[in-house]
Amino acid sequence: MPRRLKMAEEFEPRIVAFLCKWCSSAGSDLAGVSRMQYPPNVLPITVMCSGSVSPLYILDAFNKGADGVLVSGCHPGDCHYIKGNYYARRRIALVKKLLEFIGLEPQRFQMSWVSAAEGTKYTKIISDFVEDLKPLGPQTKLRRNQ
Amino acid sequence: MVNIEDLRNEARRILKEGKVKYVIGYAKNQNGLMPVPVFVKDPEDVEKLIWDPTCIHNLAKFLSDEKKRKSKEKKPDERPVGIVVKGCDSRAIVVLLQEKYINRDDVHILGISCEGSGVIDEKKLAKTLKGKKAESVDLDEKGDFVVSTKDGKIKVPAEELSAERCLECRANYPVIYDILLGDKTRKKVDAPFQSLDKMESMTEEERWAFWQEQISKCIRCYACRSVCPMCYCDECVVDTINFAVTADTSADEKAGRIKWIEKSPVPSENFVYHLVRAIHLAGRCIDCAECERVCPLDIPLRFLNKKLEKEAKELFGYDAGFDPDEPSLVSSFKDEDPEDFIR
Repeated sequence: MPRRLKMAEEFEPRIVAFLCKWCSSAGSDLAGVSRMQYPPNVLPITVMCSGSVSPLYILDAFNKGADGVLVSGCHPGDCHYIKGNYYARRRIALVKKLLEFIGLEPQRFQMSWVSAAEGTKYTKIISDFVEDLKPLGPQTKLRRNQ
Repeated sequence: MVNIEDLRNEARRILKEGKVKYVIGYAKNQNGLMPVPVFVKDPEDVEKLIWDPTCIHNLAKFLSDEKKRKSKEKKPDERPVGIVVKGCDSRAIVVLLQEKYINRDDVHILGISCEGSGVIDEKKLAKTLKGKKAESVDLDEKGDFVVSTKDGKIKVPAEELSAERCLECRANYPVIYDILLGDKTRKKVDAPFQSLDKMESMTEEERWAFWQEQISKCIRCYACRSVCPMCYCDECVVDTINFAVTADTSADEKAGRIKWIEKSPVPSENFVYHLVRAIHLAGRCIDCAECERVCPLDIPLRFLNKKLEKEAKELFGYDAGFDPDEPSLVSSFKDEDPEDFIR
């Protein structure tokens, strides 16, 4: 029994990260090939551009049981498609405000700029995100009961 | 003051001259107080058209219906449609024009200014009357409502009977029109987002408790979607499209049919539906509050749209439905858009 209790105490959040192919995904790859240590709680999904992340993807991730969702793209001005991340910035701001309005914890949904050279920044963002989510516990508000 | 004869004369003129196919307006309900939409085709019938503070519906919805109907006809009548609009309805037309869903030539707009007090709220009226039946509602010179019942007239101050949206309305006159009836009076609104204050001052858990209770009530009748002038997509994300899987169905075809939302009205799916709808209406919703009016379970849907309207205004300085030539909220950006939330 004591062993089981210990397992239940340690909550490991599951994060779905939408990473843009040209910057953030390459940044996460850099972190990997450089053998940097960071929490294994992330499920990375490569998308062509942060601007291509539909709000529906985010809601669906929460619906399917994600404890946190990260959208990450190139720094402003660096977008492979010139302005995709500017559109994303607007749209994600609205989604974030809406999710906070209905009472979802604001820490559960994050956005970041990670360039292909910022492997260290990527590991830091993930570590911070996991630390933010641990005290919150599992996300049950928007999750579908199966 | 709006003279109803001016409206009828204009409708008669455009119908007689054959300028329009028909005129969409409000008519007296044979069975109750609230008016019904009417399609006037015969110049003789323009006497049916009415205007009073009970004309709450947003008729702009019929324009997208008309477009869909026209696309199915072999030889469509290309003449425009006449439509009676209030301030908020006219902004719905501006958004449809902005999105190039309809053309300016497709519509002949008979604009009516609400002149200060706006329209009534059915639920507030029922509360005021306490079981009595209203026969008509009018405006007096001071901008208060006069409710006529069998036992005589009751005077009600505008704030007590006005629809919530009218209390926060920033332009109670049509912003686009071919003819304007009534004066372009502008009411001063100190707090255009006051209805949100109560909700925003709640804690996160209180807000969640509130929305969980409300959204769980939803039975997914989609009345809010049906009545919305902006919900004109041919294929809605919530609809499960009948998709027969046969031996010939390729994997690609199957993968192309992602089912985002389950049909069953359970809280988690209701949330996705209502949040997606709110997001789709960001920068497009012109706050006609029809979704809330038609909701059979009284879910305060207007708050979701109002919240995004507020954020669009505060974060990006965007006002929906004023300029048909402006790019829409989510298809444009500025270099100085806020990014303090980004890590």
